[in-house]
Amino acid sequence: MLAAHLPPLAASLFSLLAITSLLLAFVMLGSRWLYEYMVAFAVQSWLIAFLSAAIAFYGDYPELYGIAALTALFRGLVLPYLLLRIIRRLEIDRELHERLSPSSSLVVGGLLVVFAFVVSTHLGAALGLGGTVAVLALTVMLSMKLIGFLMLIVRSEVVSQILAILVLENGIFLGSQILVPGMPILLELVILFDLLVVVACFGVLVRYLLVHAGTSSTRELTRLTG
Amino acid sequence: MSPAPIILVILLAPLVAVTGCLLTRRPRISEYLNLTAAAIVFAAVMRLLPIALVGPYVFWDHYFIVDALGAWVMLTVGTVYLLASLYAIGYMRQINEPSRLSPFYALLAGFALTMLLAPLMNNIGVYWIAIELTTLVSTFLVGFEHTREGVEAAWKYIVIVSAGISLALLGIVFFYWAGSLHLGPSYNLTWSTLRSVAPQLNPTIALAAFLLVFIGFGTKVGLAPMHTWLPDAHSEGPAPVSAMLSGALLNTAMIGIARFIGVTDATRLGLMPRTVVVVIGALSLAIAALFIARQRDVKRLMAYSSVEHMGVMTLGFGFGGPLGVAGALYHMLNHSLNKSLMFFGAGDAMHAFHSKRIGRIRFVLSAMPVAGVLWIAGALAITGAPPFGLFLSELTIMRAGLAGPNAWAVFVMLVLLVVIFVGFLNHFRHMYFGEHPAREGPGGAWTRPRGTGFWCLLPMWLAAVPLLVLGLWWPGAISHYFAIIAAQLGGGLRP
Amino acid sequence: MTRDILLQIAQVFTVLALAPLLQGIILQWEERVQRSQGPGIFQPYRDLWKLFHKQLVVPETASVIYWIAPVIAFTCMLTVPILIPVLTNFPLPLSDMGDILGGGLILTLGSFFIVLAGLDSGSAYGGIGSSRAVMLGILAEPTLILVFVGITLLAKSMLPFVVNHLLVSQPAVYWSPAHIFLVAAFFILLLVETDRLPIHSSTHIEVYMIEEARILEYSGPLLALVRWASAMKQFILYTIFCNVLLLPWALSIRGLALGALGAAAALLGKFLLIAAVVVAVETTQSRLRYYRYQEPLAGSFLLAILAIVANQMR
Repeated sequence: MLAAHLPPLAASLFSLLAITSLLLAFVMLGSRWLYEYMVAFAVQSWLIAFLSAAIAFYGDYPELYGIAALTALFRGLVLPYLLLRIIRRLEIDRELHERLSPSSSLVVGGLLVVFAFVVSTHLGAALGLGGTVAVLALTVMLSMKLIGFLMLIVRSEVVSQILAILVLENGIFLGSQILVPGMPILLELVILFDLLVVVACFGVLVRYLLVHAGTSSTRELTRLTG
Repeated sequence: MSPAPIILVILLAPLVAVTGCLLTRRPRISEYLNLTAAAIVFAAVMRLLPIALVGPYVFWDHYFIVDALGAWVMLTVGTVYLLASLYAIGYMRQINEPSRLSPFYALLAGFALTMLLAPLMNNIGVYWIAIELTTLVSTFLVGFEHTREGVEAAWKYIVIVSAGISLALLGIVFFYWAGSLHLGPSYNLTWSTLRSVAPQLNPTIALAAFLLVFIGFGTKVGLAPMHTWLPDAHSEGPAPVSAMLSGALLNTAMIGIARFIGVTDATRLGLMPRTVVVVIGALSLAIAALFIARQRDVKRLMAYSSVEHMGVMTLGFGFGGPLGVAGALYHMLNHSLNKSLMFFGAGDAMHAFHSKRIGRIRFVLSAMPVAGVLWIAGALAITGAPPFGLFLSELTIMRAGLAGPNAWAVFVMLVLLVVIFVGFLNHFRHMYFGEHPAREGPGGAWTRPRGTGFWCLLPMWLAAVPLLVLGLWWPGAISHYFAIIAAQLGGGLRP
Repeated sequence: MTRDILLQIAQVFTVLALAPLLQGIILQWEERVQRSQGPGIFQPYRDLWKLFHKQLVVPETASVIYWIAPVIAFTCMLTVPILIPVLTNFPLPLSDMGDILGGGLILTLGSFFIVLAGLDSGSAYGGIGSSRAVMLGILAEPTLILVFVGITLLAKSMLPFVVNHLLVSQPAVYWSPAHIFLVAAFFILLLVETDRLPIHSSTHIEVYMIEEARILEYSGPLLALVRWASAMKQFILYTIFCNVLLLPWALSIRGLALGALGAAAALLGKFLLIAAVVVAVETTQSRLRYYRYQEPLAGSFLLAILAIVANQMR
């Protein structure tokens, strides 16, 4: 597999990109401003696109260049643009009532990263891959998953929830680029497209929520219980 | 005979209906267009069943597969789609918004299309995408009535299911990764590839991957504790949509789990994955029992009953072996018929009494004599009472469980089924033979309900009669069919 | 051997002598950035001199703690330079007494006694200051420990000299994300521990005081000792930051007098660099509310965790 025999420079480049993406997930977690979330997500997507291109270069997977370009285009430009439109329509620019203050969620997120670290170390050891970039990718992937779920839990604005789901997807995408760069290109294309449809659906639903429920915060969605 | 033309028909019919409904603005044309598509799909699926039996056909560059299991699930989808299309005609006319009928039928046909697509997918990644698509389409059906509750339910549905199912994608990536250590970096991750490479997979990573996949698709199936979206979505959509969600959608995700259990049987994981599946199945039963006993909303009652029956099916697949698989699959069909019947009855009652509150529904038999009888017969059936199909399938699953290593779950299941039987029928006792019409809340006056039309009664008959027949007579051909499916799923856990 | 002992004494003396200068430089630059004149860079020396010649006023309620706390704090700050590379990049005779954790422990002991002293006199402000300082300590401590863990994982050792050698000899490690995140985490800790913005507490408004409130009861020579000790603490933390983590170069390798002098000069140069960054942070940041103190620390905690995670790949 790719990660097992890489030149050291490529390995540190990959790890730097992966860790910086994780840091950006934390920027989202630690901020109250919806606009900042969106920018952080866009930058994260660009980093992942750059990672794809780097993998294409070092691992000799020419089709990943195309994926990189599409990632940058869709995740880095189109999705943020759609989100920006939703944010503008909402006329709300920050989380008003967080269930957990940003600093507490940072600490909880940090603990989740430690958990992901332990899990991926075990998995890496089981596969005899300890100390390679694969284990790091696994950690980052699991961490971003967990952080996405944490964002879903502690944030109540609809835009934050959409972004949380996008962070979940970005985590998988980032990890799969490093772990399984040879994944059939059709699959990656369809997943990219699927993401676009998901966000479009969310956009429509947000409008429904505004019109029929009169709110853009999931705190108000408390009718259905039991 | 190649199944490709039949598949084309099955996929094209709803597609034509979608485009037709989008093009025309006439509600009547849309109604019948959708109904025709449903009838064609049902006929084609019936034709597909014997062909699929002969063996798995893989075509169109390995992306499509027709096997017995997939065809069986397509049968449940086709059946529920037909019943729901019939019922929708009567039900949606009463809502009295003719301009929105065409989009509704377009969405309904599109929903059916995505559900028919999922069992056909051979590439696991594409299967995941098909499941994701079903969510996206059905979200708008859930929120179709544009009430505050409906939109809330739609939002919870899409958020919880999208988040949950992304775990399944992670699990699939893990499987791909584990496989790539043996098959080289680039290969097609089909069900058969995965099963053939399974014995070589590293057990640790295979277990992690299976757990992720199980949690992910389990969310879509509505297994506790990931079931929280299900009661909301199933109770807020229009009744035909609830029937489709409950009777068809859950099955399409369930076969993913069944196939992955087949894969893990071939790994070196031993009993562990099956035990996890059984525990989650039993937990779903327990949660459903608790919520059924204290339910106040008639459609949520049905929704929790779906959680229960998904738990039963999960137990069946978890027990495994020819008997467990047969029980689970028979249960799948029976549940599809029965749950459609239940939601149709609930829809009738809702229209008749203008409320979903159990406390507001009284003297059902006097309000809707025929539908009322069918509904309470369905209620008996869904709790597993003898003359109906679910009794047979639940019994089969229990027999399968007693033979296996997780026999404790059978006793748990038995106790919980009794609790559910009492709790569920108690609500019906109130609704049918309650003391007096409850006058609670604002405007609590009990109005004389309206009757039920032809279009609402027909699908109820069409669901109830086969249900009774399947309870009295288990066709031998079906047993043969199930045996083949069980063999294709790996024939249970090998020591 | 004699040379090493002399060098060790020189290390302590460097810290003792240059600590007020660092404080003076930072104070002057801050004022300069805000376009005012500012005190001269030697003002802290003049202050100390003045204080040593003042009369000592002791509160009636003071116990023996009041007397020994400044001395202990001062002694602690004199002890730590023995353990860390101030001038030389090789361990001196007594450097093996303790590792990074030991040094941190001694630094904390000094602060702990100042906290006790704040409580000792029984004045309201001393109590407030002490409780806040302890709260801040509780918030900062996990991060500090994590940074140490990160350093240990990086160098497979807790001795500052080993870390220094590793970073000098292996540029790959120096530029690895693990190290970069550790530097960032430690920098935030540095700001917190040396009383800089965004947790600047050395104002003259009692409500906001932390550091000052604890020593309000001190006067004369004892106050001078406390001030000097706190300047030395800052100097020591800067030294660890520069010589161990950020700029591990320009230390005396062979231990000659010239090298030691050069190292001292280089140390000043490095500190000016750090001080410039600190001044920039102070100028751009506004003071946080007391209830938001945890935010920078949470960020630092997180960076330390990321550093540990990044260590996974080696």
